[in-house]
Amino acid sequence: MDSTTATPSGHAPASGAPAAAAVRARGLRKVYGSGEAAVNALADVDIDFAAGAFTAIMGPSGSGKSTLMHLLAGLDSATSGKAYLGSTEITGLGDKELTRLRRDRVGFVFQSFNLLPMFTAEQNIVLPLELAGARVDPAWMDTLVQTLGLADRLTHRPSELSGGQQQRVAIARALIAKPDVVFADEPTGNLDSRAGAQVLSFLRRSVRELGRTVIMVTHDPSAAAYADRVVLLADGRIAGDITDPTPESVLAGLDALRSLDEPEAAMR
Amino acid sequence: MLRLTLAQMRRSLGRLTAAGIAIMIGTAFVAVTLIAGAVITRTSYDAVSASLADADLVLLGSRDQGLSAEDVDAVRETDGVAAVDGHMRLWTELSAGTKHAYPDVTTLASDPRLDPQVLLDGRAPERSGEIVLPDRMAERLGVEVGDTVTTERSSWVPADAADADGADGADTAATDGADSADSADGAGAAATDVEGEWVTRTERLEVVGLNDDPTGAFAQTGGAVVVHPEDAERWALDDTMGAPVQYTEAVVALDADADLESVRGEIEAAAPEGAVLRTKDEHAQAKTAELTNGADVFTTIVLGFASIALLVAALVIANTFQVLVAQRTRTLALLRCVGADKRQLRRSVLIEATILGATASAVGLALGIGLAQLTLTVLGGVNLDVPLPATVSVTAAAVIAPLVVGTLVTVVAALAPARGATRVAPLAALRPADAPALTQRRNLPRLVIASLLTVAGVGLLLFAVIGGREMDEVLALGVGVLGGALSFVGVLVGAVFWIPKVVSLTGAILGGRGTSAKLAAANTLRNPRRTAATSTALLIGVTLVAMMSTGAASARTTLTEELASEFPVDVLVWAPRSLSAVAEPTGPADDTSAPTVLDQRLADELDQIDGTAQVQLVTSIDAVVTVEGAEATGPLRVLPAPAARGVLLAPDQAEGLDEDSVIVSQGLAEVLGVESGDVVSLGATTLDRTGGTVPTGESVERTAVVTEFGQGFLATPGTLEAMGVDATPNEMWLRMDADADPVDVVSDIQDALDETTVSVAGAALERVMFQRVIDTLLAVVVGLLGAAVVIALIGVANTLSLSVIERRRESATLRAIGLSKAQLRGTLAIEGALIAGVGAVLGSVLGLLYGWAGAVTVLGVMGDVRLTVPWRDLALVLVVALGAGLLASVLPGRAAARTSPVEALAVD
Repeated sequence: MDSTTATPSGHAPASGAPAAAAVRARGLRKVYGSGEAAVNALADVDIDFAAGAFTAIMGPSGSGKSTLMHLLAGLDSATSGKAYLGSTEITGLGDKELTRLRRDRVGFVFQSFNLLPMFTAEQNIVLPLELAGARVDPAWMDTLVQTLGLADRLTHRPSELSGGQQQRVAIARALIAKPDVVFADEPTGNLDSRAGAQVLSFLRRSVRELGRTVIMVTHDPSAAAYADRVVLLADGRIAGDITDPTPESVLAGLDALRSLDEPEAAMR
Repeated sequence: MLRLTLAQMRRSLGRLTAAGIAIMIGTAFVAVTLIAGAVITRTSYDAVSASLADADLVLLGSRDQGLSAEDVDAVRETDGVAAVDGHMRLWTELSAGTKHAYPDVTTLASDPRLDPQVLLDGRAPERSGEIVLPDRMAERLGVEVGDTVTTERSSWVPADAADADGADGADTAATDGADSADSADGAGAAATDVEGEWVTRTERLEVVGLNDDPTGAFAQTGGAVVVHPEDAERWALDDTMGAPVQYTEAVVALDADADLESVRGEIEAAAPEGAVLRTKDEHAQAKTAELTNGADVFTTIVLGFASIALLVAALVIANTFQVLVAQRTRTLALLRCVGADKRQLRRSVLIEATILGATASAVGLALGIGLAQLTLTVLGGVNLDVPLPATVSVTAAAVIAPLVVGTLVTVVAALAPARGATRVAPLAALRPADAPALTQRRNLPRLVIASLLTVAGVGLLLFAVIGGREMDEVLALGVGVLGGALSFVGVLVGAVFWIPKVVSLTGAILGGRGTSAKLAAANTLRNPRRTAATSTALLIGVTLVAMMSTGAASARTTLTEELASEFPVDVLVWAPRSLSAVAEPTGPADDTSAPTVLDQRLADELDQIDGTAQVQLVTSIDAVVTVEGAEATGPLRVLPAPAARGVLLAPDQAEGLDEDSVIVSQGLAEVLGVESGDVVSLGATTLDRTGGTVPTGESVERTAVVTEFGQGFLATPGTLEAMGVDATPNEMWLRMDADADPVDVVSDIQDALDETTVSVAGAALERVMFQRVIDTLLAVVVGLLGAAVVIALIGVANTLSLSVIERRRESATLRAIGLSKAQLRGTLAIEGALIAGVGAVLGSVLGLLYGWAGAVTVLGVMGDVRLTVPWRDLALVLVVALGAGLLASVLPGRAAARTSPVEALAVD
């Protein structure tokens, strides 16, 4: 567990440190509701996510893994604590800055793909650039399309694509603006195992071959095994950290959590 | 199941409210129409029977016979009759100084129940020479109780009665010095055959009282004066030239204990043939039916507009329910899973529609009654000539009809969505929420029906437009209306096929670059049926508004051109030719008989008015032109040649006018068989009572010049002098500045001439009159259709907010990948403006075409129709539609912007 003393004011650029954190959390806390009904979704989490790595966040339902991701991506506001994207503290930003941040520096992959049904695959992929008013880099576009195997699907609408294809389009959309980090929320949750495996290997390739940073939330141990590192969450706290995971090591980690807290699993 | 329906309604309260407002406006419209119709009926009943006061019965003389004094006496002697008064048609001219009035003349009623007027001040006339004036008239004439007014009467005096007894107390001023007298009735009915002459005398009348006409019995003539029966009788005999006076009707008041039916029977038995006996209410009913041709035209027309508003509301409702059902797909599917059958689901939707319709209708009804009452209260504060009831009378029909119609429309509109609800498969409950697929179902029968209707309708319309001139006018109009209606229905039925395409094309053209525009255009294509229905709702209102204003503009232009050829000048002011001038035509008009002299002073006064370019005094006499035995009589207008060319609307009508020529109108030239260059002889003439002409003065030889001048002849003052006629000007011709507003100028001229006896006519005046009529009608119609447009705009807002709810996840996704709140609001604003704008543009184009077709069909009989584009009105419609489309997007836009990007991550 990372116990480095946090220096909140000092966030010097991580020059010269190749494994510098792309995303950091310091004392991050999120409380839902108030008074008696208050629920501590996230309790003073400190964590670093390395750039150029594929990290999975795991944990039982209600462990706070989704909340952590929302806060790290600037989708939700923290009750206290700080979150950084590179050297930018995002917990203090307003909606306009957050919108810009998401547009330029963050990519998202959703469980239910969330492609716009009226646009073709290609239009969906370049949408973030259009929103930013930026040009498409044809070489990068070509790289993504080739890597994700979408070359003959670009003119199709989402309704004409399989689930796996839709998710690959969503990954391309998340990567098109070369963001600092891509957040993937249960990217294989709506896919069969073959399509899911394909998507996961694409995510890994985008880290290994294209040099991107990916943070994935999942509850599937075999999906988490594709990552370089697995962070385990329970009761809103970091409960474990596995480097170079295998499905077995992840399962073992999870079992350790479950034995600690049985009723939580029945929450959802 | 009912509990479930109610629970679902509670959850969708916002959306149902929006739909409810649409039906509410429609229902309020219907309610106001019915209540206003009842008020108008009551008011017109009161108005047409006001002169009957509180009479129990009225005996109406037949049209050609009337009632004689004996007939009235016979009624008086009937048992049970308390009082009876004969009414006759009698008017007189009253003068006080330079001011004049033309009131009805009545005598004091013999029973207060028969008197519609109320004495405000002074007393009733007790002897000949006394008069009671309406207070407003007295004010206008500038007289009070104790002052004197004069009236000028002229009577036919047979030669053998010329030296009969003097009249009682009347100050006579007959031209031959002989007194006229009521003894003339001795001359009998054959007076016209007897030698004699017309004698004019001036009578002085002392104002002894002032009265008021609270029920508007004499509203048309500005009130009635009350004189002594003796004076009334004498004046009536002047008008009949000595024949016995006929009464048009006799009003009857009964004794308190008299039985109406038995008295009625007795009077009827004694009444002359052709006379009709009615109670006051029967009379009002019959009279109103006569006026409105038996049908309640007003109510019918306005209900027509109300049904358009309801049709639009139905579209909005159908739309809302469709989306409600779509949104509840999972719930409905779940219900099917747990055992609800199709019928239960359909019933649930229909019950919901019934509750919504009934509630909204009830609110709309209350709103309508409130509005009607408010209008009455406001009108009551304004001083109108028509007495209005103080409160609305709410009839059973006015309550039930709006409720039933409003509810029915809602339920019918919900039928299709209810069927949609039954199509939800139970399996849908188990399916994960997929990205909604874009389905483009081809509905062939619909396409065929739409095409057939459109083609057939356009065909009929073209047939009416092209063949209209050869056909019967009414038939052409009927065919045109049928064709128009058919083609419009076709266009509406087919809207789902072409409107979404037009919308997205427009979006693509307008916003090729902007992401917001691109998103908006794409979004409008997602649910073509809904986009079409929303646009169509607006299209209907806009088409009708545009059609009306196009028709009105075309009618205005066409009629303006017609009038220019009919009237030689913008404004024509003329003094009535005095009776004495008939008796003594060559003499100058004297002051007593020609109260207002058209002189240079008055001309200068009119010249001062803003907007008058030229004022010219004109002398008009009757003239006769003879050439080779042919003879034609017509008015001869005399004015200097340059002035004529300046003041005439078409200066070339006076081309060739000089001291040696006379302009002859084409019509008279044909009668005479003359052509330009022929020499004709021109002389003054006068018409006598029998219609013959009496030449006066001398004949002069002039060269005829035939032009398009409208009527009669045109000559210079030199020619008039040569004819030995010494006449003063009796007409003024005015030309207005080209850019002057005829409404303002004419009303200024009328104000300046208010206190005189002259009349005003002319192209400008006619133009003002029909312009007022057209503009008023247009304003009313546009106001009525406005309700439909407002409902349609509610529909736009409704559709947008439904879209926002439906696309919650999408909006969140867009926000997550970098769409700003402003961009999201912008997307919806563009979508709203697109839907509204396309509806408005297409509506304008359709309306323009229909308006032209209508104008050609209706006005074609009058000559060439000018097709006009009412740019200003159309621009206004567009601006309003676009503005409202944007406005409609504000609230949904804010709701969408509130969507947190986190929601994109939610699984359901």
